[in-house]
Amino acid sequence: MAKGFSIRARCRNFRWPRDRGTPEISGPAAGAKRRFVDWAVSKLLFVGALAAIVTVFFIIAFLLRDGYQIVLETGLWNFLTGMEWNPTGRSPAYGVFPLITGTLLVMALAMVIAVPLSIGSAVFIAEIASPGMKSVIKPAIELLAGIPSVVYGFFGLILLTDWIRVAFDQPSGSSWLAGSILLAIMSIPTITSVAEDAISSVPREFKEASLALGATHWQTIRRVIVPGALSGISAAIILGMGRAIGETMAVLMVTGNAAVIPDPLYDVFSPVRTLTGTLGIEMGEVAFGSTHYHALFGVAVVLLFITLAINSAARVIITRIQGAQSIARSTPSGWVRAAIQRSTPYRAIAGTASRITHAVSAPFGRLVHPRTSQRCAFLLISLAVAIVIVILGVILFEIVVNGAGAITWEFLTGSPKDLGRAGGIFPAIVGTFYLVGGALAIALPLGIATAIYLIEYTADTQLTRGIRTAVDLLNGTPSIVFGLFGFAFLVLFLGFGVSLIAGQITLGLMILPTIIRTTEEALRSIPGSLREGSYALGATKWQTIWRVVLPPALPGILTGAILSIGRAAGETAPIMFTAAIFSSRFLPSSLTEPVMALPYHLFVLTTTVPGAATQSYGTAFVLLMLVLMIYLAAILVRRRYSPAKVM
Amino acid sequence: MAGKSLSKTSTVAVAGIFVVLLMVAGCLGNEQATTPERITVTGSTTVLPIAEQAREAFEAQDASAEIMVSGGGSSVGVKAAGEGTAEIGMSSRDLKDAETTGYPDLVKHHIADDAILLIVNPANNVESLTLDQIRGIYNGTYTNWNQVSGSEAQIVVVGRDSASGTREFFSEFVMDGEDFVRTQEEFNSNGGIQQKVSQTPGAIGYAGLGYTEGVKALRLNVDGTDVEPTFQNITDGTYPVSRPLYMLTNGEPEGLTQRYIEFILSAEGQEIVASEDYIPLRG
Repeated sequence: MAKGFSIRARCRNFRWPRDRGTPEISGPAAGAKRRFVDWAVSKLLFVGALAAIVTVFFIIAFLLRDGYQIVLETGLWNFLTGMEWNPTGRSPAYGVFPLITGTLLVMALAMVIAVPLSIGSAVFIAEIASPGMKSVIKPAIELLAGIPSVVYGFFGLILLTDWIRVAFDQPSGSSWLAGSILLAIMSIPTITSVAEDAISSVPREFKEASLALGATHWQTIRRVIVPGALSGISAAIILGMGRAIGETMAVLMVTGNAAVIPDPLYDVFSPVRTLTGTLGIEMGEVAFGSTHYHALFGVAVVLLFITLAINSAARVIITRIQGAQSIARSTPSGWVRAAIQRSTPYRAIAGTASRITHAVSAPFGRLVHPRTSQRCAFLLISLAVAIVIVILGVILFEIVVNGAGAITWEFLTGSPKDLGRAGGIFPAIVGTFYLVGGALAIALPLGIATAIYLIEYTADTQLTRGIRTAVDLLNGTPSIVFGLFGFAFLVLFLGFGVSLIAGQITLGLMILPTIIRTTEEALRSIPGSLREGSYALGATKWQTIWRVVLPPALPGILTGAILSIGRAAGETAPIMFTAAIFSSRFLPSSLTEPVMALPYHLFVLTTTVPGAATQSYGTAFVLLMLVLMIYLAAILVRRRYSPAKVM
Repeated sequence: MAGKSLSKTSTVAVAGIFVVLLMVAGCLGNEQATTPERITVTGSTTVLPIAEQAREAFEAQDASAEIMVSGGGSSVGVKAAGEGTAEIGMSSRDLKDAETTGYPDLVKHHIADDAILLIVNPANNVESLTLDQIRGIYNGTYTNWNQVSGSEAQIVVVGRDSASGTREFFSEFVMDGEDFVRTQEEFNSNGGIQQKVSQTPGAIGYAGLGYTEGVKALRLNVDGTDVEPTFQNITDGTYPVSRPLYMLTNGEPEGLTQRYIEFILSAEGQEIVASEDYIPLRG
């Protein structure tokens, strides 16, 4: 029971005395059976968690093994600092320095664009918007996250780069700026929703106290609420950076992919090439086992280390903000609540106020009257929201206008003919459902078991922290790496061939980290007092988890699962080498057969089939509708159940 | 407690989704009364349109055949054919040393040729270039269109990714192995290049014969005479830039694999090749 107790000791919101004896004391016969169930379940969960964790480390080891080869072949220093990436030149060069620079530049500018817009939107949703407005804007911004990245790339290639070329009078629009704008748009929903979560969970009393002291609403936001939510906001930014750094398909379509360092370094119109773009653009054609192939795995490993560095930096920052006694938690609202509960309000505010206020509201100095500065600030914040909404509108409008025309009964129910220029996409729609269903069937039990085991059965030790770091790493791993892993391990080594099952497992692994993290977060948000109460009534650990902890955590888990479905449905790279075929006469009848899938179909139509523009838009439209419906479901589920959530 | 009712509702919802999926699966099962002979064709996306159109025509003649076509890239094709995960691999480049040693049994079937056209934006007033000028543009000697008898505008050099078979061929044939200018913008598909060139006035790129919508194909100045990249000129070799496309099998093909490849090589198959804007084999 020592383990159980340490867990309970970790739980927050204690309202009852902690030490109330061993919870297992109960009637002898029933007790034995319950103890057995309890024991069996804990072992099962352990096995589930072990499987998930072994897989996580297995994928990382797989990357390192192939990536290490390039170090042997060119030397670590040459690889990392080489200024030239020219694998097929007369004298091949494998220097990734321009790629690292490109990745960091694109990400940095994306954050410069996204952070003010997202935090503005988050403040607007949490503090300024009326409830009616909030219920419209919040889902609208989250819908941005549901747009598949191929669709973003498609949009970026056709509209964004052209706009940059004309608006800034440049010879070419494919540029650092285009990549950053696109990544900013893609990371806005992540940053906004996590930051909004953090801002909303700042206790009401803080705000009331500030207003009672005569501060304006804006002063309260700036001096009290934002500083109180600071750790959650930093976490939001880190998550956004993770999303930005791992993005492949959209980025490679708009940055121009020239492996040069912008000259001068601030030339945002220069083409750049990112690490992920390099993987996405070259992986399909490179000869397996060649130096070039190993170099690409080296690129993947570099990417992994950058993700690791960002995660570690985040931990350090957050630990520092929260003070020495706190333990870095891997999810934002956990951080926020922990910060608030562990430190006195004064300390939280005083310690961080000066730093954040400078960042957030530098333009409004003391010279301006508080009312005026409030008006200016709210205007700017509303502007941020308006920009985000307009972006969403433009993307949706473009795809709906061009895609809706392609939708006919035959298009939805027929098989493709003439390379997809005629006929329909029914097998692709069904294939997408199969893939996503299978991925979920694999990832959901594993992920939930792992999360329950990590939260309810283990203490916060070095080991669990290591596991969480690995899960975070996997979360930031570009999807194309999962595709490679699936191809090398499932398709070739295990001999599954290009098949439904290989695709399902690959997609399942890809969404596993998301499911583990969201489930962990949902479980953490259940107050320890509920568990205490259950134990006090004589329930066993498993009974407590099953009857008391899981039901209120379900909406959170479900939201995570549905968001994962959206991601799995829209991904191209993981299924490209493992499961997808361009065409098949029959729908698959067993797990060993390959399938058609919507994102892959769209990818081939836009890149390989001339004269299929209408069908491309139509496929994009169907894919978008499918993913958006899933997201809408997630939003409805959450809206319906969040009042019931025990806070 | 509210939590309980929600867990029931969502269980029902999830169960509902699975039931629907199962029903769909059930319907599909019925369609397949006989077990057809089945092969998988995978690899280069450049060859994919040929394989796909040939599949449609072939299956119309042979009801028991089931051919599944997918893309992924030439190396996927080589690897899949070599490892036996697919019966046929498609490749738009020749085998690399690492691949011939790794899979010594691979047999190449030359099924068609792919022309490579130089394309520029329709607004560009340049109509033809010599191979030397093209090399100069791609290695960075010329950076403005007025250096190659065009109007004053910066040249935006667009090419394929460094793993591409098209680029490899271009590099050998046009560039003579010289390195490309480092500011070259790279795309991983013909469609991407076509899209880019069609909306960028100063751009030049190269792509297959089928990708000329919205762009202008340049004439090639060979020994003082301009050669238009027409189907006729490419087929008889007057327009000199084209490269072979392959299907790969592990050992000599048998059964359906053999019949399918023979079909593509037949007159009817080569008509399909031509109809997709590839170049049929001569003779």
